[in-house]
Amino acid sequence: MTPLLHARDVRVTSAAGVLVSGAGLTVAPGETVAVVGESGSGKSMTARALTGLLPEGVRATGRLELSGQAYDLAAARTPWQHIRGSRIALLLQDPFTSLSPVHRCGEQIGWALPRAGRAAGIARLLDEVGLPAEVAGRYPFQLSGGMRQRVAIAAALAAGPDLLIADEPTTALDVTTQHEVLELVAGLQRARHMGLILITHDLRLARARADRIMVMYAGRLVEEGPAAQVMDHPAHPYTARLAACDPPVTHRLPALPTIPGAVPRPYEVGGACAFADRCELAVEACRTAEPALAEVARGHRAACVRPSDVRPVAVPPLAVPPAAAVAPEAGPAPALLTVRGLTKRFPGASAQALDAVDLRIAAGEAVAVVGESGSGKTTLARCVVGLERPDGGSVEFGGGATGPRRVQYVFQDPYSALNPGLTVGASLAEALKAAGRPRSEARSDVPGLLDLVGLPAAYARRRPAALSGGERQRVAIARALAPGAELLVCDEPVSALDVSVQAQVLNLLSDLRRELGLTLLFITHDLAVARQVADRVYVMRRGRVVETGPVGGVLGAPAHEYTQRLLASVPAATRAE
Amino acid sequence: MKSMKRRTNTRPPVVAILSAVVLAAVGVCAVGRELVAPHALDQDVYLGVVGAGIEGHLFGTDQLGRDILQLSLAGARSALAGPIVVALGSMVIGFLLGTFAGYRGGIVDMLVGRYADLLLALPSVLLAIVVAGLVGRGYWITVAVLIVLFSPSDVRLVRGAVMEQTPRPYIESARLLGIRPMRIMFRHIAPNIVPIVVANLLLNVAFALVALSSLSYLGLGVPPGAPDWGRQLADGRALLGDNPLAAVVPGVLIILTATVVNLLGDWLSETLDRKVTAR
Amino acid sequence: MSRAVLAFALRRAAATLALLFALSLLVFALLYLAPGDVARNLLGTRNVTPEALARIRELYHLDEPFLAQYWWWLSHAVTGDFGTSIRTGGQVGPLLLDRTGVTAATAGLAFLLSVLAGVPAGIATAVRRGRPLDRAIVAASVAGVGAPGFAVGLILLYVFALGLGWFPVYGTGEGFLDALWHLVLPAVALAFGLGAFVVKLTRAAVIRELDQDYVTFARGRGLSERRVLRLVLRNAAIPIVTSLGLMVAYLFGGTVLIEVTFALPGLGSLVEESVLFKDIPVVQALTLVVALVVSVTALAVDLSYLAIDPRVRTRAVRR
Repeated sequence: MTPLLHARDVRVTSAAGVLVSGAGLTVAPGETVAVVGESGSGKSMTARALTGLLPEGVRATGRLELSGQAYDLAAARTPWQHIRGSRIALLLQDPFTSLSPVHRCGEQIGWALPRAGRAAGIARLLDEVGLPAEVAGRYPFQLSGGMRQRVAIAAALAAGPDLLIADEPTTALDVTTQHEVLELVAGLQRARHMGLILITHDLRLARARADRIMVMYAGRLVEEGPAAQVMDHPAHPYTARLAACDPPVTHRLPALPTIPGAVPRPYEVGGACAFADRCELAVEACRTAEPALAEVARGHRAACVRPSDVRPVAVPPLAVPPAAAVAPEAGPAPALLTVRGLTKRFPGASAQALDAVDLRIAAGEAVAVVGESGSGKTTLARCVVGLERPDGGSVEFGGGATGPRRVQYVFQDPYSALNPGLTVGASLAEALKAAGRPRSEARSDVPGLLDLVGLPAAYARRRPAALSGGERQRVAIARALAPGAELLVCDEPVSALDVSVQAQVLNLLSDLRRELGLTLLFITHDLAVARQVADRVYVMRRGRVVETGPVGGVLGAPAHEYTQRLLASVPAATRAE
Repeated sequence: MKSMKRRTNTRPPVVAILSAVVLAAVGVCAVGRELVAPHALDQDVYLGVVGAGIEGHLFGTDQLGRDILQLSLAGARSALAGPIVVALGSMVIGFLLGTFAGYRGGIVDMLVGRYADLLLALPSVLLAIVVAGLVGRGYWITVAVLIVLFSPSDVRLVRGAVMEQTPRPYIESARLLGIRPMRIMFRHIAPNIVPIVVANLLLNVAFALVALSSLSYLGLGVPPGAPDWGRQLADGRALLGDNPLAAVVPGVLIILTATVVNLLGDWLSETLDRKVTAR
Repeated sequence: MSRAVLAFALRRAAATLALLFALSLLVFALLYLAPGDVARNLLGTRNVTPEALARIRELYHLDEPFLAQYWWWLSHAVTGDFGTSIRTGGQVGPLLLDRTGVTAATAGLAFLLSVLAGVPAGIATAVRRGRPLDRAIVAASVAGVGAPGFAVGLILLYVFALGLGWFPVYGTGEGFLDALWHLVLPAVALAFGLGAFVVKLTRAAVIRELDQDYVTFARGRGLSERRVLRLVLRNAAIPIVTSLGLMVAYLFGGTVLIEVTFALPGLGSLVEESVLFKDIPVVQALTLVVALVVSVTALAVDLSYLAIDPRVRTRAVRR
């Protein structure tokens, strides 16, 4: 059978150098292929190259065959106008920015439809994506994220493509919405017998949704094969380690497996395996030549010189969480933080951001607050540290009101967490000085602080621009610890990081807890992360706490219907047939 | 290929270098006026107004018999000194008021905002004409008036930039660490808005040059007889028939100087912008 | 919904009125504090006797406190009675009306020229970002923004009126076509800087939109480049319209110099004459009228958002 799409030797280069080197890709009608990789892997650039939509200054070479018809990716004359829409459609990540804000949804869907019978076509497409017909008359800003992504899907399908390329289509959505949208896409794919390329950072999601998985690392394709085969019998060490970094929601691990180091830039890797520096199996041959993709089983290929030595990373579940011994749930230990009846409504908002929230954290305890966007979890955290003023209720800290510097905050976005104009050392020294440390002492305490978060002392001279996301988050944690904070409020501290880096930061937090007796209030949308860090968990929805209890109980046997729904939306470790 | 790509993304530095050279030349004339154009104010009374090309007067003379070339070179001083003072002065006001209003919000912000609204509702050139015309004439009085009139847009610019920085995590962290507001404003926020401020400073120099020479043109800036491009244009208007260069030379000089300052400002803002956004 | 929109419009109108009120106070105070004796100015070169001064003071309420004077002036001003011109001795209102036509025609023509030339040029450069045409137009627009209208005007006069003789040198002409002919050079001189400004802001607005995700997605689902451009322009229209509104203030500043340069009897040259003559009633009236036009334009721009930006429409309703 002729494949729907067959791409060969796809190379993408920018002024800085190679971004993707020689990726190949084949999709059959009705098949789902997941392209998996962390940031900088080149997965999105590959998708863009296949639709001729690379950003300015970035060029592609290679061959593209669509149902047997060949095109040259480098040629200026490639008839993209005829390829895009009716043959390949590209769906983007963020439904909040991918629709024009000043056009009605129906109009945007209808542009790709013939003028005759346009209204009927719009209604049919809206129905197909599970939206009522009156959405046609609405503007995108009047819809929720999930609804917007449905409108975008309808628009993408309007011209009847044979192949849909979905670039992280659910990353910007809430967990429960993610599940619905993925189900919708799967249904549409079956009904239309459409090919699907799913670009994602999430191995578990790829496993649950794809027939075949392709793993990319630093601009190279390192492994491809049937989904189950790649996940259960990985033939490239990166795939095995990446899968292990992803925390399970079902049980707690003593420590999360990590991958040492960071992803190199594609153009910085010469003739060697790009993963060699982080690989424990690496031998001399890995560093002298780039390993070629070789078949390890039928349809399963990997670019590794020792594929047979690769084993899935097995991590035994922990019998008793160590922290539980330190802090039994809400028991006799003295409360470090007590929140009573906290309410908050933002001016102009129709709903309460916080509606009579109670929360109690014992000294040394780690408490997670989970919820989707709009649940009020971040507002709660900001009220606790005093960045937001509640309308009512009280926040008591160790018997008194929240004192300055005893409680510190770690923010979500590592890129704006540090002053871009100050060196790491200057930022940390200033935090120490603000806590009343004399100038000379502040200077000399910086290396110790950096060591505490696992960074070399030489980093003091660097500016934030020279640091990776994970390193910035470590510095932000160090700064929060500088005044000797007792309670650390972490607001989604790992959600902007890659999985392998997320594992490093989560391990660091649990080490710090053990060593310093730190108390944690951890805000997250990710149940698996909550499972790994917390002793107790609060589930929030629309400003209210709907369920609370020990993490094992709440996530193991959820009582509230909403918690059950959240759990059901997490992609299962095995494919649901 | 690399270099080609570069060129499409950034203005070639050639333009910036050329602009800097021209501006430097104007600067030299402004600083060393007495050396560059020692005979600017000498009236060759026997000649009166003459056209270009006569010996000793390359561009001819004006109605008082003054050499157009020397007079134009001498005009560089009032073309640069005042505008630089206007740009700096209004930016100092804008920086202080804008930073306080943007960081503190509340009543301070409200008052500063109303002050800006009030002055922005009138064209600044018109207000300058009215105020300079009624309050008093003189170069430095006009400069002072322009400082006040230019400040609202600087206040808005700085206020907007500060308000963009204030909710960022690094500022909120600083607040949680107990760092004092003055230190947050001037050590944490200020350095990060400097690129915007510097680029705008240059653009304001160009605007002030145009505004000041406009006022001189109307007879409100420099006293009669002083070497000034705007004043020369006003005088040259009547001489278009006899010696058109009396108007054309200073006219070209105003346009050229304003353009190179604008080009430098644009280039600087692009460069600084890229430096700031680069991660 | 329409009632909420109306409420929004009324709120904005009230804010504009408050601003105008504050401005009138400011203008009045400015001229009240200006050096010189107003009564003496009002008498002009006529016989200055103490009796005459006293009579003038009484007539113009000059011996009353500041606020009373202001009230007296304002209550007349709102009925269109701005007092008597010191210079001409005539009523200020009719004098202003008499001068408005030329200014409105010049400014209107300049506005039209700069928008008709500037917006398409801005779009063309944005779409061809980085290519030679873009760089040439961008460089020209930088020069245009920096060029004062009177300098451009003098050069135009020299080249096209004195040199080539295509256009009249000074004056307004008679009859519609001739009058229009007389206004071409002034309007072009005024439109030069304005047009450059329009090019810059249009280019910036279109480029900002071209970089948005929705453009990539529109292309990614096969929409034609024509359709994509229309999509972009509809979105870019919002910032462009705002800036066009702000340009009205700029126009009024520029028109003073252009009218002086081309000896046109408009409001701009009236400003110059009155300021030089310290004709305070006229200056007061003029500033107030300009403030009125500028603020009403700003109000119109705000209200036009209701038509072009659906987001503002609902935000206005929700508030």
